[in-house]
Amino acid sequence: MSLTEQLEAYLSRIWEQPVKVQDMSRIPGGASRETYRFDACLGDQIRPLILRRDPVGSLIDTDRRLEFLAFRSFHGTGLPVPEAVALEEEGGELERPFFIMGRIDGGKAQSPFSAPPYGEHAAAIGQQFFSHLGTIARADPLSLPIAEFAPAPALDACWSRELDYWEGVINEDEEHPQPIVRAAIRRLRRAPPPPAQKLSVIHGDYRTGNFMHDGQGRIIALLDWEMAHIGDPLEDLGWAIEPLWSYGETDRVSGMLPRDEAIAIWEAASGLKLDPVAFAWWELFASVKGAAIWISAAKEFRAGGLMDPVLGFSGWYTARRQDEVIARKLCALEGLS
Amino acid sequence: MTPTVPELLLGNFLCLTNPPPPESMGEFLQGRVAITGMIALLSAQEAEHGIEARVWENGAIRDLLRQGAPRHGAAHLVSAQAVESDLTLAALDRVNADLRRALIDLHIQAEISGDQGLDHAILRFYRQSADRRRLDLPASPAS
Repeated sequence: MSLTEQLEAYLSRIWEQPVKVQDMSRIPGGASRETYRFDACLGDQIRPLILRRDPVGSLIDTDRRLEFLAFRSFHGTGLPVPEAVALEEEGGELERPFFIMGRIDGGKAQSPFSAPPYGEHAAAIGQQFFSHLGTIARADPLSLPIAEFAPAPALDACWSRELDYWEGVINEDEEHPQPIVRAAIRRLRRAPPPPAQKLSVIHGDYRTGNFMHDGQGRIIALLDWEMAHIGDPLEDLGWAIEPLWSYGETDRVSGMLPRDEAIAIWEAASGLKLDPVAFAWWELFASVKGAAIWISAAKEFRAGGLMDPVLGFSGWYTARRQDEVIARKLCALEGLS
Repeated sequence: MTPTVPELLLGNFLCLTNPPPPESMGEFLQGRVAITGMIALLSAQEAEHGIEARVWENGAIRDLLRQGAPRHGAAHLVSAQAVESDLTLAALDRVNADLRRALIDLHIQAEISGDQGLDHAILRFYRQSADRRRLDLPASPAS
């Protein structure tokens, strides 16, 4: 039975009427899940949808329920977040866990490894990008659906929970000794950040490449919430301005805006004041988290029989770029020229 | 390093010879082909510069281990004696793994003992080694 037929069987069962699936097509990106676009036809009605199915091997291990609840938390709140439609944690007719969400057409996501992509719309996109992130940070996570499943850490435990987790990933998946990221982890542990100002929903992968824009300067969808959780809002901001996502530019973060401007937009939208000391910690942490993801990708590339070039590329090229970023940050923190 | 160039190129071959299911044709397949092409281009860079970068890195780590041995233990001198059986990428990487483990231990000792001079020398080495291992993507048009 083809994937299209499996999906027709599933949707017909849960919607209790015959459903025809058409124009199913896998789309690149979304390296932690297989992502497909399709139309579901119910009589005369056509629903444009996205299927996100767990892969056999993945860049990162994430919980699809959290991602599903993150979409549900922000859809319809004024942010451009697709609707969460259905969740199947046992796999059902599709054999592996998956969920279905609404599809927003008419836009494109940018690879973080292309040339700077936004052209004359960079500032307008940057304004929305950091404003939307501030809006997410402002929300009370405990009042949102994600709180049904995501644990809420103590304010002073946000940093240790994240660092413990990602160091654990490195401990488990490292296949060649990585002295640069190890030095960064030790530095983070020697000088922990102050407690979070508040708890927020953390998107977990808020960056260039994980949103769609319409080519005219408007962000139309915030995507890829697979690492969503509750934590310190500075975590997302640190990840968003990680140099890896800046197209090699040093004067604009994410290829969009000067750093100070981006932070000011985030502060205005979040209602929070950025503590530079705390933020320096979360910026270095973002690079450590990145390194952990690329180290895992390398291991998964091998474990999966070398068949996924995205994993191979991530575990090789991107890992080296991340090493450069971390080494520069460590030297800068020590004032070394 | 991980993954190795032979693994990456074998992966490219396997990926391109494995027929995708119908729903993975089109945009997804195009993306796959593009990334296998990028891996091939970067593999050429690694073939050209990878040995030089590793020879330099292994030598620089040996120098740091010798520099740290008088203050942080003669064991680092022993670690510094690891030698390559040949100058293939695989042989250089095997020795590099041993040297890196020793360097991590030395760096921890330098941090704990407050040996700022050695700590900074190691941090500078990290930056240099990362620069030397750098791979550069070809310029690609904005999509």
